[in-house]
Amino acid sequence: MVANIKDKAVIAGVANTKFSKDSGVSELSLAAQAIKGACDDAGIHPSEIDGMATFTMDTNDEIEVARALGCGGLTFWGRSHYGGGAATGSLHQAVMAVSTGMAECVAVFRALNGRSGHRFSSGVSGAITTADAIHWGWYMPYGLLTPASWVAMFTQRWMKLTGISKDAFYEVAHATREYAVNNPNAAFYGRSFDRAEYDAARKIADPLQLFDCCQETDGGSAIIVTTPERARDMKKPGVAVRGIAQASAPDQEQMTSFYREEFAAIPEMEIAAKNVYEMSGLTPDDVDAAVIYDAFSPIVLWQIEAWNFCGFGESGDFVLDGALRPGGRLPCNTHGGQLSEAYIHGVNGIVEATRLVRGESLNQPKKNIEHALVTSGVGIPTGGAILGKLD
Amino acid sequence: MTPEEQKAFEDKIYAFKGRKVCEATPAKDPVNATMIRHWAEAMGDTNPAYTNTEWAEKSARGKTIAPPAMLYVWNQQGITAASERASNAQSELVQLFNDYGFTGVLGTNVKQEYFKEAAPGDQVFMEMVIDNISERKNTARGAGYFHETVATFSNQSGEKLGTQSFRVLKFIPQDQPAAAAADDARLEVPTRIPSPRGHDNGWWWEAVDKGKVMIQRCSNCQTLRHPPRPMCGECQSMEWDSVESKLDGEVLSHTELHHPKIPGYQYPLVCAVIKLGEGTNIVSNVVGCEPSDVHIGMRVKGKVEQVDEKNMLPQFYPA
Amino acid sequence: MSDYKTLRFADVNLGDKLPALEIPITAALVVGGALATRDYEPVHHDKSAAQAAGLPDVFMNILTSQGLMTRFATDWSGPEAVVKSLDIKLGAPNLPGMVMTVTGEVTALDKSNGVVDVAVQGENNIWGMHMQGTVQLALPEAG
Ligand SMILES: [Zn+2]
Repeated sequence: MVANIKDKAVIAGVANTKFSKDSGVSELSLAAQAIKGACDDAGIHPSEIDGMATFTMDTNDEIEVARALGCGGLTFWGRSHYGGGAATGSLHQAVMAVSTGMAECVAVFRALNGRSGHRFSSGVSGAITTADAIHWGWYMPYGLLTPASWVAMFTQRWMKLTGISKDAFYEVAHATREYAVNNPNAAFYGRSFDRAEYDAARKIADPLQLFDCCQETDGGSAIIVTTPERARDMKKPGVAVRGIAQASAPDQEQMTSFYREEFAAIPEMEIAAKNVYEMSGLTPDDVDAAVIYDAFSPIVLWQIEAWNFCGFGESGDFVLDGALRPGGRLPCNTHGGQLSEAYIHGVNGIVEATRLVRGESLNQPKKNIEHALVTSGVGIPTGGAILGKLD
Repeated sequence: MTPEEQKAFEDKIYAFKGRKVCEATPAKDPVNATMIRHWAEAMGDTNPAYTNTEWAEKSARGKTIAPPAMLYVWNQQGITAASERASNAQSELVQLFNDYGFTGVLGTNVKQEYFKEAAPGDQVFMEMVIDNISERKNTARGAGYFHETVATFSNQSGEKLGTQSFRVLKFIPQDQPAAAAADDARLEVPTRIPSPRGHDNGWWWEAVDKGKVMIQRCSNCQTLRHPPRPMCGECQSMEWDSVESKLDGEVLSHTELHHPKIPGYQYPLVCAVIKLGEGTNIVSNVVGCEPSDVHIGMRVKGKVEQVDEKNMLPQFYPA
Repeated sequence: MSDYKTLRFADVNLGDKLPALEIPITAALVVGGALATRDYEPVHHDKSAAQAAGLPDVFMNILTSQGLMTRFATDWSGPEAVVKSLDIKLGAPNLPGMVMTVTGEVTALDKSNGVVDVAVQGENNIWGMHMQGTVQLALPEAG
């Protein structure tokens, strides 16, 4: 059992910058804009921030961000590794800092020129000899060097084991796109697609095609995490972190855990789910909506199973039943997801999960959202959190 | 360029939208068998409709025709030095781009529609307008603008032969890898990206260079492990040796890579996770069959091969 | 006449694959193709001009790519087919020493006018996709 920090930290403010294919500004500017937006949302001044948490992949130094914003001094900073696995990982850092009193007001952020700057789809390369490069060295020479290709390898086997077809991938991609159609900040605002277009889209790495893959985005997202006491004095109703966890599992690799007894699985997410449910005292039945990390459509299905919304191999039927849609069992990625809103490494997902609990989503489901799940990227060390209304 | 300068520049280039490059102008030569033959020989095109008079006379057309893809060729200026050519809206636009540093040029799309086949003796007239100029785009080549010309082709009787729209990117050239390759004045053929070699994996790749695929084995508890790492996860021993794999395997999963195509790799390209007879898994390529024939459970046999100028790699074939 | 067969519209099915064509890119093809299409841009025949433009060697001009794409389609259809349109998107340059493999597939059939859409792609073995696009061919009716 992990330490219990249920309800000891609260999300008080969230914001996204404008998302685009070419921001025309620095990543530092995006980080500062996102955090300033989150401060405004919380009704606080940046000088109240005393801690920061982000990704190891983020290029912005905390102290530079602090100077840009006029934060003053910091008493805590921490980073999370493993790409999109750090989405709730950076939130986890902030929650730990706040719940232990190491900081009172932590800005979680991720800002990147993911489209006009370095693009993940261009793949890894072996220019330098780091542990990371040696790891990719087992795959690069064979041409397996993009995120889509690694996920494709898991997906092909998982489809064989479960019999789940691309009908379910289409449902994930399409349900997500339909939400983006209503979101003016989404890359695919107002632009739907149909099954024929989905099937005809460019092949990426079998069985993944274009609409199964997220885009690349310039933009930033930020979250202000603080104590329940301070949150009560802020502008908007606080959103409590009911449960949060990070997890890796035995024989974990970064995107290429191909050496496990059965590798078409995400045991790390199952551990995170178990710990989050345990910490929060909640069950899948208590979760009303979700933001599930969707760099690729099939990974949403795996996570639905890992978080026990259904059993192994049942996620296809679960989604084809309309579960992810506005009136469904688990309205999901209501901002348009990373597939269709923006790829901010999952931090825009934390923003949306907060909005769902506040009742502020552009696609707010009709039912009461008491609890929303948000998850990090999979195939890597990962994590997740359940957010709920602050009592 | 400041935003103001960019605005001023864009005002200038957008003024070219809709301007005529040329009125209907006749080609220097009528459609003729000689140029058609030169074209067909260069393209390796043996279509008798172009060059076999005997066949063509008996065919439904009753005569030879010009290859449709020659439509634009008839009106080409040829070797005439650019300086001797009359200036027109297109050359003025190009000059304007060049003056502002957009010296790179790249044809990106051409669409031709053919309404009537041209035959020897026909005179081809071409009329062209600048149809569209895009907003500023950041492309892989550099920042630039796409512009599109539309040409209409007709014959001596005024019948429309076809149309062409041609999209060109004018861009500010960036340093390209290709430019670096040009320095040593020879074609540097890209190769696969090799693994970097460090303490824990260098020995494995050196064995591959010698044609062998090894599997690391704990000297203490005999557990096999791959990829290599410094300590045995079972007994924490740091002593190890290795065994050579027989490379008998079974495909556990596979994917055909379509996009992006990385320079140095030959497509179609299939990657697979393969369970070796010795019990460890390895990622490699499956070759020697159609990508669609690769399946989970497929038996494969590997061998170490020279895959390009620089790399030796294990490759697996259908067993 | 019997040496040259032309496919009839009824012979063709959606998804039919065209026989792949491997074209070795030689300096003769690049330069010869440029001159046969009256394209005297120096980058297509003068190596130093190509290098000044950032490429290691002379490269194929667009009109040659267009010619090769229609050749590929009519090699398959036979000489009585009428080429209706050619829509081509250009990618990586073709340079001497490379080999371009051209493949194609029937992607649409219009019964009303006998027109067949063939999606074509030409990939070279070094830099990948050189050209992709669609050739539309009108095929004769049965008989
Ligand atoms: Zn051992």
